[in-house]
Amino acid sequence: MHVPDGVLPTAVCAAGYAAAVPITWYSIRKINQTGDPRENVPKAALLTAAFFVASWIHIPVPPTSVHLVLSGLMGAVLGYFAFPAILIGLFLQAVMFGHGGLSTLGVNAIIIGGPALLASFIFRLRGLRGDATRRSTGIFGFLASLCAIGISAALFTVLLINFIPADLDADTERHAILMLALGHVPLMFIEGAFTAFVTVFLLRVRPQMLTES
Amino acid sequence: MKFVLDQHAYLNSPIHRWDTRFKLIGFLVLIFAFSFVQELYIMPAMALATVAIFMISRIPVSFILARLRYPSFFLFAVVILLPFISGSDVVFSIGPLDVYEEGIESALLISVRFFSIITLGLILFGTAPLLTSIKAMRSLGLPAILADMTLLTFRYLFEIGNYLHQMETALRLRGFQARRFSRRGFSTLAWLGGSILVRSYERSEWIYKAMIMRGYGQDVNISQGSFQSSARDILALGLLILLAGGFVTAQILI
Repeated sequence: MHVPDGVLPTAVCAAGYAAAVPITWYSIRKINQTGDPRENVPKAALLTAAFFVASWIHIPVPPTSVHLVLSGLMGAVLGYFAFPAILIGLFLQAVMFGHGGLSTLGVNAIIIGGPALLASFIFRLRGLRGDATRRSTGIFGFLASLCAIGISAALFTVLLINFIPADLDADTERHAILMLALGHVPLMFIEGAFTAFVTVFLLRVRPQMLTES
Repeated sequence: MKFVLDQHAYLNSPIHRWDTRFKLIGFLVLIFAFSFVQELYIMPAMALATVAIFMISRIPVSFILARLRYPSFFLFAVVILLPFISGSDVVFSIGPLDVYEEGIESALLISVRFFSIITLGLILFGTAPLLTSIKAMRSLGLPAILADMTLLTFRYLFEIGNYLHQMETALRLRGFQARRFSRRGFSTLAWLGGSILVRSYERSEWIYKAMIMRGYGQDVNISQGSFQSSARDILALGLLILLAGGFVTAQILI
């Protein structure tokens, strides 16, 4: 779901940065409003690294295996830190592995980070009717991740089909959209289930990790 | 501490010696100028400029090639697909499949832009330690929270990666096989991910205490004293902006 360098025109790359800046500013503003924001920086940073590493876990989906994006889970656990964390993760992926890109960093942050922020709001709804239970945590964890991946996949597909410098006819374009969309549906459910399992696990083992977000 | 990305950051080349703040601005301007180019005629000049900058940097080819391996999969798919699905002018046919001129042009355009931009990015962050690059970004206005988080994430990334390898080895030793999909296997992998998060969270509490003891939270003005620029740095920035301007002008005029 990472758009690489060289695929999108400059205007779209610049628009991605222009959209990422206010979201980053908003997230940092919200982080600064919590007690001592620097206290949470090491936690957010190490969890960012942990999410980065956890995305290396391969889930077997015969005949192949997939690795997860985990943006929904990041939203659930990191709250307002999710967008900066994803921005940093994407930056490190671009400079260390050439995955994604520097010119498309803003666009990729919007594609993955924006829905992660939305996932954090969805996950917060689990405590709407008093204390969060295992069931409500699992359900809202699933929904948060399902929505995050679904929206990311939709944004990725729309951007790629509309802005790739190629003359695709309407029929090919429709097929490409359908194929990309269908390809992401199993991933949405796998990510949702994975987030549900992990959030319930965290609720049992370290519940403060979920309440702090 | 040296990291994989920093392995060639201590070589001696004009790009290594260039003030990192100016280098960041210059390279980013050139990267955006490259992404602006859409004319095939400008591609050879773009590739040539990239090769020239790469040669000046003295970074080994193997460093760049190793990092191009993974993103090249996407490019490979694009290059294979586009000539068959994009365009209307048939150049030749392979059995029932037509190869279109516009598709070949698009594939070429994307490939050259992709390799040029990615190589510039690798040179930019491969010719200075990441710590210096982050300090330079901080002095150019990057918020402190982002700078601190980036450095800490980078610092602990491979350590946490080692946790994962250890835990995966422990799972395998206990007979776990992640080849088939099953509910039990899936929940085991989710708990593995959860354990990584919990271990990292617990580690961060100790790190925060250690950081506080070393004075973390005291404001340090990075913009003063950390970087010193000379006329040569400004001249190099001017040259790179001129080069970027040349590509943009050529694209507009052609």
